[in-house]
This record gives sequence, C-alpha cells and structure tokens, in this order.
Amino acid sequence: MANAASGIAVHDDCKLRFLELKAKRTYRFIVFKIEEKQKQVIVEKVGEPNQGYEDFTASLPADECRYAVYDFDFVTEENCQKSRIFFVAWSPDTSRVRSKMIYASSKDRFKRELDGIQVELQATDPTEIGLDVIKSRAS
Amino acid sequence: MTQLAETYACVPTAERGRGILISGSPKSNTILYTNGRSVIILNLDNPLDVSVYAEHAYPATVARFSPNGEWIASADVSGAVRIWGTRNEFVLKKEFKVLSGRIDDLQWSPDGMRIVACGEGKGKSFVRAFMDHSNFANCVRFSPDGSKFITVSSDKKGIIYDGKSAEKIGELSSEDGHKGSIYAVSWSPDGKQVLTVSADKSAKIWDISEDGNGKVKKTLTSPGSGGVEDMLVGCLWQNDHLVTVSLAGTISLFSATDLDKAPVLLSGHMKNVTSLVVLKNDPKVIVSCSYDGLIIKWIQGVGYSGRLQRKDNSQIKCLAAVEEEIVTSGFDNKIWRVPVHGDQCGDADSVDIGTQPKDLSLALLSPEIALVSTDSGVVILHGTKVVSTVNLGFTVTASAIAPDGMEAIIGGQDGKLHIYSITGDILKEEAVLEKHRGAVSVIRYSPDVSMFASGDLNREVVVWDRVSREVKLKNMLYHTARVNCLAWSPDSRMVATGSLDTCVIIYEVDKPASSRLTIKGAHLGGVYGLAFTDQYTVVSSGEDACVRVWRLTPQS
Repeated sequence: MANAASGIAVHDDCKLRFLELKAKRTYRFIVFKIEEKQKQVIVEKVGEPNQGYEDFTASLPADECRYAVYDFDFVTEENCQKSRIFFVAWSPDTSRVRSKMIYASSKDRFKRELDGIQVELQATDPTEIGLDVIKSRAS
Repeated sequence: MTQLAETYACVPTAERGRGILISGSPKSNTILYTNGRSVIILNLDNPLDVSVYAEHAYPATVARFSPNGEWIASADVSGAVRIWGTRNEFVLKKEFKVLSGRIDDLQWSPDGMRIVACGEGKGKSFVRAFMDHSNFANCVRFSPDGSKFITVSSDKKGIIYDGKSAEKIGELSSEDGHKGSIYAVSWSPDGKQVLTVSADKSAKIWDISEDGNGKVKKTLTSPGSGGVEDMLVGCLWQNDHLVTVSLAGTISLFSATDLDKAPVLLSGHMKNVTSLVVLKNDPKVIVSCSYDGLIIKWIQGVGYSGRLQRKDNSQIKCLAAVEEEIVTSGFDNKIWRVPVHGDQCGDADSVDIGTQPKDLSLALLSPEIALVSTDSGVVILHGTKVVSTVNLGFTVTASAIAPDGMEAIIGGQDGKLHIYSITGDILKEEAVLEKHRGAVSVIRYSPDVSMFASGDLNREVVVWDRVSREVKLKNMLYHTARVNCLAWSPDSRMVATGSLDTCVIIYEVDKPASSRLTIKGAHLGGVYGLAFTDQYTVVSSGEDACVRVWRLTPQS
C-alpha cells in the first residue's frame, strides 16, 4: 500500500526481517534503502549477530541516506544484561537534497511498520552515530 | 584523559572613571574579582591557585564571600544575584533577581542571613543620601567594628562618619592627600588604618585617629610606565596583603608589615586572548596576545613573567613569533616586525601592504619570509620588503606557508584549499583540494612537514598528507561550532583543535577520529589560541582572557 506523504510503499520483507530481529535475534542490524524507481523501502543489508557496532557504521554509506535498525546490547550499572532496539535515520549532510527529502517524509510511515523500536536516533554525520552517543541514549 | 595543570588568570575588568570592587575571604588570603561573565577566585599567596566561576549569563559586577567564608554571592548587570558554595564545585544555593538593572555593589549581613544590594533600576535597596562630597562618591565602607564609615569621592576627599548616628566626625587630611579622584577605600583588619587608591596612580595608607581624622602614613606607588593605565581603581586590605588594582588590570601586592618592600606584580589579560605562541628556544615560555594589543609572557610552572613593552599600543589581530622577533598585524594596513630582547621590544619596523592583513604566517626555518593574506590575495614579504603582491581572484580566509618557504596553502571562503609553490616572487598553483563545506579558518603544517591540517567554519577539521595531498584523517566533526585554532604536537602525532563551542579536542592522527579526547568548557566564550609546549601538554587561551595549561595522560 502506498499511503505515505511521499508515496513510498514498504516491502513486506522489511517487516518480516524486523520481527525476526526482535523475536529470534537472528540479526545484529538491518539497513533499509528506498528504491526510488520501485517506490518502496527494501532491505539492503543485514548483519549477523556476531558483528559489532563498527561493522554497522561501516555499512552506512557516507553520502547517501538510509534507515537502519540496530540491536544494541549493554550492561547496566546494576550488572544486568540489557538490550535496546535503535532506529537510525541516517541522513548525512553530504547527501543529495532530494534523497534527504524523500527519506524524511517517508520516515514516520515506515517506523509505524516496525513495531518495537525503543530509541530513535537521527544522524547527519559520522560523529552523531559514535558509540558514545549510542551508549548515552541507551539508558 | 586530560587534566587542568595551570590557569593563568585574567585580571579584573576595569574601565576609566569608575572604581572596581574586589573582596577578600574572611578566612584565607583569597580574593574575588570579576572579568566579563566570570568570577575569579585568586589565592594571593599562590597566584597560580585560581578558580573561575562561569555561571552568570551576563557580565558579573561584584562578588563577596559570606562572613563564614562558606558561600559567595555574586551579581551581574542584569540585576541577578547568585549564591553559591565555595567548595563542592560551586554548587548553586539560590539565584534571584534583585533589581531590574545593573547591581553595583552587594554586602552580606554579619550573620550571613541577608544580603543588601544596590544598583540601577527599581528594587530593594537601602540608601541614605549624604551630600558632603562635591563630586561622585565612589566608595563607602564601614570599619570592621562598625563604629565608623568612610566615603571617598572623585572630589579627592575622604570623609569619616560615625557608624551609628551617621554624623560627620572627620575627614582625611588634605596635606599630602590624593591629587586625583579616589576610587576605592579599604579598612585594615584592626580598623585603625585605611588604604585608599586614586587616579593619581598612588595608594595611600592613612592612620585614623580616635577623633575620626585621617593622616597619611605612607604613599605607595607601583612601577609603571606612568600612563593612564597606571591609574588605580581598586583596593583591598586582606590580612597582611595590600592589594591595589590598576586600570590596566595589574594587581600589586604590598606587604602591610613591610611597607617599603617592593610590591609583587601580577598581571594577565583583560580581553579575549586571540593568539598563543610557544617560543621555540625555550619550550616553557608562552607568549599570549589579546586583541587590545597586550602581549604577555608566561613561564610554565611560575605564571606571569612580564609584559612585552611595546612602543605603540595599537590593537593586534594576528601574531606570529620566532625566537627573537614578533610579527604582528592590526586593523590598519601595516605589518610590524618587532625585535625582542628579554621583555623589551626594540624599535619596530613596519611595512604598509596596501590592504588590511587577514592572516599572517612565517616560514619557520627562514623567518624573514612572511606570507600575509588579504581579502583577495596574498603578499609575500622578505623582512620588511614587499616581494610580491598577488591577486588570487578568490576571497582568502586563511593561509599558511611551509617552514622552508617553498610552498603555501591558501584557504578560501568557499572551503577550497589552494596549494601554491613559491619560487622567488612567483606563485604557481599546484593543486586545489575540495573537502571543506565552509570557509577555511585555519591551516597548519605539522612540525615534520609531512602533513597539514585545516579547519573550517562548518566545525570540521581535516588532516592531509602533504606529498600525496590525500585525506589522512577525516570525520573530525566533533565540534559544535566554528573551528578557531589548531595546533600540532611536536612529534606530529596529535592535533588539537579549539572552537567557539568552548571545547578543545585532541585527535591522534593514527587513530580514528572517534577516539578523541575532549576538554569541555576550556574557555567561556570560545577557544581562540592553542599550542603544544611538549608532547603531553597543551596550552589554550580564549575569550575569558585566561590562559590554561592542560596535561594529557596517554591512553594505552
């Protein structure tokens, strides 16, 4: 269905993969891309559970927008193992304006498909997806 | 990990025609004064022991210790009073808006429960008019026991009143009295003497007799150039220390018990310190310069070491220095070369380059070659001779010349870096590098000349390889406002950047930008000068007129 403000549909695969990440923990992260010609959001890349944060940031292109979901594991002060599911709206300053506009207007519609996101992060350059930023947002 | 090692404090802000207020701790030899939005807490026994309270949103006017020494009340030009603790990181106890305008003075009640504040605007103040002076009454002080109070005025007189009845009981004798407006007065702890300071550049100690009259006991003068800046505007009698402050901000400490002893002079900057240079021959000497033209030498571990006496006191915009010479440019069209011997500047030679200089750099290996960038081009100087003036066709915002004088990098308003080779007086463009997304603000070669780093107005810094002209380290985007200054460590392994966002960030060239060290809040108002004194020590200066030395502990 295409009823977003920008007319972008969401491919069923996106929701499926997200549910797998959430319930079965089969992926560490998922990177989504908007295919302009097909007018839909598709899954571009997934990361294995053994991959880390560095692999995630490396799979975000430096001058193109993406959406991403990352499952972040950490240990709290009381020594509990916890995890948070991050939604990252990656919109680097160096990307094209048209790209930023499409991603921005489709974001809300897309997020609604992914039920279970705990923290949302918007990043416009590599410093904003640094590990210290994630850690501070996790708690 | 970074640690603040030393702070070279700024001096009190002083303006002509007005006295300033400095107050002391009831328990120790610590004094309080204000500069800009900061309150400075200085230990008279060890001037390197200084703390700064920077929480006011408006310029601060006065700060006073509570009678038990636990709290400090400080006020600013917006009429707000903040009460904060002396210990425990200056925790705020209370803030309230007392007046609608500038607060000129405030005082704690002896029980420490109330504060009276006076100033401009509507508000609570207890004022009784005394008409005995014929000119501005500048300062009024109760004696420590409350039995008398004294007022001093621009009419050069001091009048003593009974503390309870407010009747005039006597005055300071005009014999050997001040010859200029008296700006401030301070009682001795035993209430038998007062210290006054005046626009006649002297401080006088008066014996106050029981009948309320004062006679000059001693006149104190500090060494100075004799100009307007030596006018004394503030004083304080703090235990054994007699503190006087001049219009230029020089703090002189006399000993109350040994009045003939020469005073200890403390000084610092009053305004934004825009440049910092570490003199090459002695790594521990730091030269700092503020835009009002004041150049001060500091010695690491010791503090204030002297002011460079310049023949003229024009404002300085850019400064470059090598061992025995300082090159400056101001807001006119001239470049000045000043030979320096110790603390004295020799006769300066100037050259008029035709337009206002925007940036200045010296070829460190042959310092008679200087590159000056102007609005639309560059000028190359050999000594004070203009060798060539080149119009480059774009707006130049930053420039740097290689130590051997053979290459120059010019940064433009559009963020492009142009690399030129220099042969004699000809500049040949070799390459244009595009990466910055804002006007380039600073360019610096690494000491080993294998790299150079550039910073821009868009908060980004880039390290480049000099030979291949490829980006060596990128994503250095951690500042949140424009990058003002940049410095390399002596071994070329680290780059420190200072920004308007008040932070200093230190990157290691071999590690990713994310593993950086951040010094937050290094200087209220922005960091404008940066230099490394050795491998692990960074010196920074900024808008708060202070110079700070930071020690870096290497991470494994």
